[in-house]
Parts: sequence; C-alpha cells; structure tokens
Amino acid sequence: MKNLNLILAGVFFTLAASFGGLLLSGQVQLGQLNRAPAEEGGPLFPPKEPGLAIQGRQVYLSLGCVTCHTQQVRPAGQGNDIARGWAQRPSVARDYILQSQVLLGNRRLGPDLVNYGARVKSDDEVHAHLRTSMPGSVMPAYGFLYTQSKDGSFRPTEDAVALVAYLKSLKIDYSSPEAKQKQ
Amino acid sequence: MTDSHSSNNHSQRSSHEGSEGSSDSRLVEAHSQLAKNKEEPSEGFSSLPIVIVFLFCGFGFWAGVYLTRNAGGFSANTFDLDAPRLVADSGPKVFEADLAKGEKLFIQQCAACHQANGLGVPGAFPPLAGSPWPLGNDERIIKIVLAGLAGEIEVKGAKYVGNMPNIGAGLNDAQVANIVSYVRSAWGNNAEAVTDVKVKDIRKAIGGRGQYSPKEILDAHPLETK
Amino acid sequence: MSQAYSSRGSVSRIDASISVPVRLFIFSSLVWLLVASVLGVIVALKLQVPSFMGECPWFTYGRIETLQRNAFIYGWASNALFALNLWIMSSLARFELKSSWLPVLGGAVWNLTLTYGLVQVLLGQLNGFALLEMPKEVAPALVVAFVFAALWPAVAFARRPTGNVFVSQWYIIGATFVFPVITVVAQLMLLWCPTLGVMQALVHSWFYQNLILLWLGGSALSAVYYFIAKESGRTISAYYLATVGFWTYFLFASWTGPATLLGSPIPVWVQSVGVIASLMMLVPIVITAVNFFGTLAPRNGIAQSWNNTTLRFVLVGAVSFTLAALLNVVSSTRSLNALVRFTEFAQAQEHLTVYSFVSMVIFGAAYYILPRLTGAFWPSAKLVYLHFWSCAAGSLLLVVTGLTQGWAAHGRTDFAVSAAPGLLAAVLLLVGHFAFALNALGMLTAENAPSNRRAY
Repeated sequence: MKNLNLILAGVFFTLAASFGGLLLSGQVQLGQLNRAPAEEGGPLFPPKEPGLAIQGRQVYLSLGCVTCHTQQVRPAGQGNDIARGWAQRPSVARDYILQSQVLLGNRRLGPDLVNYGARVKSDDEVHAHLRTSMPGSVMPAYGFLYTQSKDGSFRPTEDAVALVAYLKSLKIDYSSPEAKQKQ
Repeated sequence: MTDSHSSNNHSQRSSHEGSEGSSDSRLVEAHSQLAKNKEEPSEGFSSLPIVIVFLFCGFGFWAGVYLTRNAGGFSANTFDLDAPRLVADSGPKVFEADLAKGEKLFIQQCAACHQANGLGVPGAFPPLAGSPWPLGNDERIIKIVLAGLAGEIEVKGAKYVGNMPNIGAGLNDAQVANIVSYVRSAWGNNAEAVTDVKVKDIRKAIGGRGQYSPKEILDAHPLETK
Repeated sequence: MSQAYSSRGSVSRIDASISVPVRLFIFSSLVWLLVASVLGVIVALKLQVPSFMGECPWFTYGRIETLQRNAFIYGWASNALFALNLWIMSSLARFELKSSWLPVLGGAVWNLTLTYGLVQVLLGQLNGFALLEMPKEVAPALVVAFVFAALWPAVAFARRPTGNVFVSQWYIIGATFVFPVITVVAQLMLLWCPTLGVMQALVHSWFYQNLILLWLGGSALSAVYYFIAKESGRTISAYYLATVGFWTYFLFASWTGPATLLGSPIPVWVQSVGVIASLMMLVPIVITAVNFFGTLAPRNGIAQSWNNTTLRFVLVGAVSFTLAALLNVVSSTRSLNALVRFTEFAQAQEHLTVYSFVSMVIFGAAYYILPRLTGAFWPSAKLVYLHFWSCAAGSLLLVVTGLTQGWAAHGRTDFAVSAAPGLLAAVLLLVGHFAFALNALGMLTAENAPSNRRAY
C-alpha cells in the first residue's frame, strides 16, 4: 500500500470489475435486442417512432421534463403503477430499443409518462394540459409554447406540436414476447 | 462557538510556530508504525480481524444464495422476480402426462416384478400388458399404486397371490400420474392418460390406509369386461 | 524542519508553493456555491409557486434544477475537493509544487468549460442523464482540465521523501483516478456512441454512483481521516482495518449502481447484483465508523471536537456519511425500495451524502486550511457560528422532510408535495453559505492588505 502504481492498479481493477460485470455483460445481453412480434407472424414491436415525435423528444429534453417524470412502469409487485391504470403491463427492455436517449427518470413529481399516449384521448387534451396549469398540480403552465392570435385563440408553436406528437407516441399498448398485455 | 474560535486560533498559532510540518510527518510516521505492528505476531491476536473475516464469509455465502434465488436465471428478459409465479397462477394448469418420464419411473419402480415388457412373471407376478386391471376406470389402478394390494387375484386366467407394496406413497402426484398413464398406454394397452389432479384427489380420499384386499378394490371398481 | 518555512513567517513553504492554485480552487468553489444556493432557493420556490418565472423557457423547473445540481457538484464540491486533495496530500507528503501554473490552468479551464456548459443548459441544450446534462463537447475539456487540476496529489505521493503513507493518501489517489475514467466511459457509452435502450440507464447508474460515492465520497473520506487524526492529535483507533475499509469501499461502491434501478426494465440479475453490492457496503461502513468514532469517542473526545470548528463540521460530516450509507443499504432492499422508489426519499438520501457529508467536511477543512494558507484569521467568529447552525439546520430540515414525505408518498396516487419546509431549508442554506463566503473572501483578500495581517 505504499506504491503508487499498486494503488492505481488496484483501483483500476475495482472499476474494471464493475465495468465488466455490470456494463459489458449487460451489453452482451441487451445489446442485440431487436424488434420482435408478440406472436409468430404478428407485427413487429416496438413500433417505429414518427419523425415529429423524434423532434418532440428534443423539446422534452430541452425543457427538462425528465426531472419530474419517469418513463417506466414497474411490475405489479412493486408499487401501484398498473393498479392505478397507468399501463396494462410492466415495461421491458425491448420497449426502449428505438429511442435515441432513454429517459427512464428517477423522480416522480408528476405521473409516469411511458404509456401517456394511450391514456389521453386527443391532441387538444395534451395542448390544454401544457398551456394551462391544472388545479392542485405542481406542474406550471408552459405558456411560452403557445402564441395568442388576435381573436384570443391559442396557436401551438412548432415545439408544442412536436412535443405533443412525442407525448402521444409514448405508448406500450402492445404485447411483447416478454410481457403480455393484461386483458 | 466563540471558544471554538479561540481554540482554532490556538491551533493556528501553534502551527505557525513551526510544528505543523513536523506534526504531519509525525502523523504519517505514527500510522505507518501502526500498520506495521499488525503483522508482528507478538502484538497478540485481536478479535476484530477475525470478526471481519467471518463477516466476509457470511456475506459471501448470503450473496451466493441471494443471487441464485433472485437472478431470474440470469436471463436478459426477466425484469420482474414475481413474473414466473404470476404467470403460473394466472390460469388453471393443464397437466399433460409425460410418457417418457412414466416409462423411466416404471423401470425404476415396477419392472422388478412386472418386468419391463409388462408381462410379469408367470406364477409370481401378474402381467400388466393386456390385463383388464390397469385399464377401464382409472381409479382402481391409481388406488392400487398408491396403497398397494395383498391377496389372491386372477389375471388372464392365471392365479397370483399378490403382495404389492404402496409404491405411490413415495412418489408425488405427477410421478404417479406419469407411471399410470404409461402403463395404460404401453404394450398395446389403450386407455386414457390420468392427471395429477386425479391422483391428488384420490390420495386425499383414501388417506394413509394400508394395502387393499382384492375383494375390497373389486367391489369398489369392478373389472370392466371387454 | 525550520528551512521548510519561508521568510514570510506565518505561511509554510509547502503552503506557499500551492497557495495560488488552492486559492483559485477555493475562490471558484465559493462562487459556484453561492450560485448553486441561489438556484436552490429558486428551485424550492418553483415547487411552492409553480408559475414563478414560468414565462420563459430558460427558467423551467427542469433546467434550473439541472443547473443547480451541476453547479453544486462540479462547481462547488469538485473545485473545493481539488483544493482539499492538493493541500492534504502536499502536507502529508511534504511536497512543494514547482509548476503551480499547471493546476491553475486546469482550474481555469475547468471553470470556463463548466460556465460554457451551464449556459448551454440554460439555453436548452441538455441531455437527460443526471450530471451528464451538459452538451457532449463539454466532457473532453472537463476531463483534460480535471487531469491538470487534480493530477498533483499523485505527483506529490510519488515524490514523497519517506516511504510511509497515511490512509488519506490512498483515498485521494483512488478518488482522483476514478473521475476521468468513469466520465470518459459514460460519455462514450451515452452521448458519443450511445448504447441500445435501457443499457443507457445501466451505464448512467454506474457513472452516477461512482461519481457520488468514489470521487466526492472518497475525497471527503480522506479529509475526514486526516482531520480526525490531525486535530484530535490521536492515532486512528483501528488503523490496521483502514486498508480493508479502503479496498472494500472502492470495490463494492462501484457495483451499487443497479440498486438505484430496482424495478426498472433491466434484467433482474443485474438488479440483484446491485442489491448485494449495496449490502456489502456494510463492511467499509462499519470499518470507517469504528475508525472515526472509535478515535474520537474515548476520553471525552466528542465534546472536545464539538469545541473545535474544523472537527465540529467534520464530525457532522462523518455522522452523515455513516447515516447516509446505512440508509442506502436499507433502502436497497427490494421490499423497502418498492415503497420509496421515485419519491423524495431518494432525494433526501442524496442530499445526506453530497451535502451533509461531503460539503460539511469541506467546510470543516476550509476552516483549517485557509488560515494556514493566507496567514490570516477568520474575520468573524459570529459568521462561523451562523454558518454552522444555519447549514446544519437547513440540511437537517431538508433530509427529514424528504425522508418523511417520501415515506408518506407510498401507496398514494397524487403528487402533493409540501414545498414550504424545502423553501425554508434552501433559504437557511443560502444564509449559511453567504456567511461562509463572507468570511472566506475576507481571508482570501486579506493578504493584499498587509495591515490586516496579524503578527505573532
């Protein structure tokens, strides 16, 4: 414990061990995931992201939404995500493979969004939620995403349109080989 | 905190008088001495390192057990420890008799007397191939396998004085079901397979009873005539 | 020994040789601390009044919170730890820095890069990974700056005149080595060539735990060992265990990442490995606790420490470290984690580590180092008093409300948070930090006005 090189080698070994054990082996298992059908011959899941939704993810990132919203449904034994109707099944690794940045999140100051697109009915509903603050909610109004025209009606900016497209694309309403939808 | 300030001043002053550098050297020196001392056996045996070693071993053991139980088979597709159990509970289980397993079990448990070809030993052990006893109503054979049979019986025109032990008492429901299903379908026998649920029900119904007598079993489940 | 002291009388030659870089680091860390504290108040205020500063995309909760976290970790804590590591190592290894312009250059680049990165965050260029939010071009500059700023303790160690070592030196070497490695790996696997799907979350958890526990935590542990031995004048009680404590700490801490992802869609065996590593952390926790409190507790040592400014802060830090580490062990068990995951409970745990432990230790160290570096006294004892109590109360309030609110949130379906205690805590911290900064700036500028210098 007096030799600098020995200490450095030891610390390097500890880091290398956790890197190999967690990240390399994880990469071996998860790095090859492909889109797959829930049943043989069925459509491939997860579905491709619409182009507008990909732009919308940048808006989501840029506004820092991930600070308060997670994107993962926990299994039934852990928490009440499924019980409170956020989704019909827990999320699995395959659900995320097409996303350029995976925004699992680790803090919920607001609801989980991984299946938000399946919960809302229309674009207008999402726009209304973004433009105005809901009573009792800590989420502020994102008024700067909208412009008001002379007749008093609100028009969404390009960012708002993309963000809403992204939010509506967040759905796990399909079965994957690992997790079936609850009927 | 005012006195703390003054104590701070005090230590500060002493350091500025030139003790700081040497005190750092002393600190390193003293601790290096401590580190060396532990290697000298004359120092005696401290109990703490032993405790740490045991703690380590205990942790290592626990880690191994925990990992085997909670690793989901190291599968890339298991995200939820409860998932297999939930799936298993999610519907009525359908038992399918595994005839290959049944044959294996038959060889181990039954073939010493009834022979692997199911023909038995003339004068000593009755045949199963072509016998009406294992066919027809499956309750008869399941009961015999579970509880045994003792007494004089007639099979295919020959008389046997049987003393069959309760083989099935040492097997689980699925194993009994596999054996019985095998016997009912092998060597030209052609009767339906049985399920583990049926075995379970019968086992529960007859309890821990002794061997059947031929009269008792035939009164309950007479042989079906072809 | 006398030739080791310069003719300036009050400042040792060793301290004089590292004076400029250490002053730069401490000064920058003070600026960032104030920035982070003001941002902290804004963050707390935005939870209380969501519409506050809501007219402009620059000041969304997400961006301000990100700025606050990065300014605190990279601006305040990292800068201050550069100073601490350099000072402690030079002091232990009797090292005189010849080319002090190199760490100064490193520090300057570090702070300029950080400023650039945070401005980009403010403008909306941010990623979704905590503490890696700054644009990806920032990272290479940060790593290079880090090497220039933090390399010198290793040089000092290699050139020490005697072969002897003290446990603090291992922690400094280890912590310094960890930061560039994990940053490069995480940047490559997350931003430059992103891995597929949830691998990103796994990589990030590995980076994050290593950053908090090894770079920040390891450096701060070195300071705790140093100041406990130094200020109490005692030898570390179970010193032969310190080696085991050091290695187990580094070995297990770097595996704990997945324990922060329990219930997430990563393979369950990876999660289990994280849980095991978290529990294994009990070994280094017990060893450090035995060493810290076993050294201080006998012969009325705790009471004496309480009357010593440095040791008072360090003691609070050491207690917080033990508590935070035990809390991490407990909350890594699956059954408890299922209840507190995603709640403010985890925020409180992190606060306990990066504030109540790391920052309090830094404060304590600063109260020891600055007088020796500048040859001046702390200008005001009242401000020291205000600093300690306001920060202790503020952080205690933050931790307690976070833990209780997080605990109360399980099973509920609403997101009601009571933000008032958090706001009060943020204001308390701000007040404390201003008191600290006033005092410290007073000392840093004291030498420029010789009349303020005390003679002995």
